[in-house]
Amino acid sequence: MKYANTYQSLAQFGRELLEKKSLEDGLPLISEYAKTVIKAERCSIFIHDRVEQEFWTTISDGVEKIVVPTDRGLVGLTLHDKKPIVANDPYSHPDFMSEVDKETGFVTKNIITAPIFTSKRDIIGVLELINKDGDFDKEDVRFMIFFAHYVSGFLELTNVYLKKH
Amino acid sequence: MNKFNQIAEFGKTLMTLSDMENALDLISIEAKRLVNADRCSIFIVDNEDSMLWTKLSDGIGRIVIGLDSGIVGSTYAKKEAQVVNNPYEDDRFLPNIDLKSGYETKNMLTVPIFNSKQDVMGVIQLLNKSRVDFDNSDLETLTFFANYVSGSLELVLMQEGL
Repeated sequence: MKYANTYQSLAQFGRELLEKKSLEDGLPLISEYAKTVIKAERCSIFIHDRVEQEFWTTISDGVEKIVVPTDRGLVGLTLHDKKPIVANDPYSHPDFMSEVDKETGFVTKNIITAPIFTSKRDIIGVLELINKDGDFDKEDVRFMIFFAHYVSGFLELTNVYLKKH
Repeated sequence: MNKFNQIAEFGKTLMTLSDMENALDLISIEAKRLVNADRCSIFIVDNEDSMLWTKLSDGIGRIVIGLDSGIVGSTYAKKEAQVVNNPYEDDRFLPNIDLKSGYETKNMLTVPIFNSKQDVMGVIQLLNKSRVDFDNSDLETLTFFANYVSGSLELVLMQEGL
């Protein structure tokens, strides 16, 4: 199992994460970690804003926000289907938004997503990784599901409860 | 300090533990404190043997029950938290456990603990809130708390190969 060592050392990452006081402080750490262990080129965490019905995500610095629609693309599909999506040939996937690549000049070779649930089983966000060498496989999916769940408590606490009170 | 800041502090402590016995102990102390309950048991689901068991319980030895037994079993089956403020009038309640331990259950709150596959891997049971009944605010706090600790618990269970 290629993630055996990762599971072993995940608590170390968890300790670092829980030192972060806000969602904005935690997001870059989560992205960086996911990217490193899954060995992908990019990682984005899309936070679901239920009131505005949109997703927002940050550039690597964790400050500047980009808004993404909830009803389109593979991230929107993840929200709709409430399950991970693997697209190893994204250009042939009907929901893939190739126009984003066209605008940025970036070439997406493969994508994996996983929904992040709150304690009330709502989707608080979507974890997305792009461009792994070789295809994303079943073990990657399994790890993504585990990891999305592992960080969900931190996301819910900082984005919902510590904000509200 | 409000409850959620308290949970954030608790999370850091929980992360420093690696073995299950200590983790369950710590989770149960914190759960009691959050909703002001007298006792807490954490039941772990064993799918192979179709049962729910506790590693420790306040004032009582290890408890093993069927997956469909009692209010805890019902929490597992329905995948939903249960607030029972009159347990002796609830058909699902197992009075033998009180009889055996000599402890009188006055009210009960149970919440499922989900793993990353969204299956129930455990149930947190709180007994006897001091003076008043369990309410919706307790339910919300504990529901959040169960999810907050679930990642660590899943990791520990995985490593213990259970």
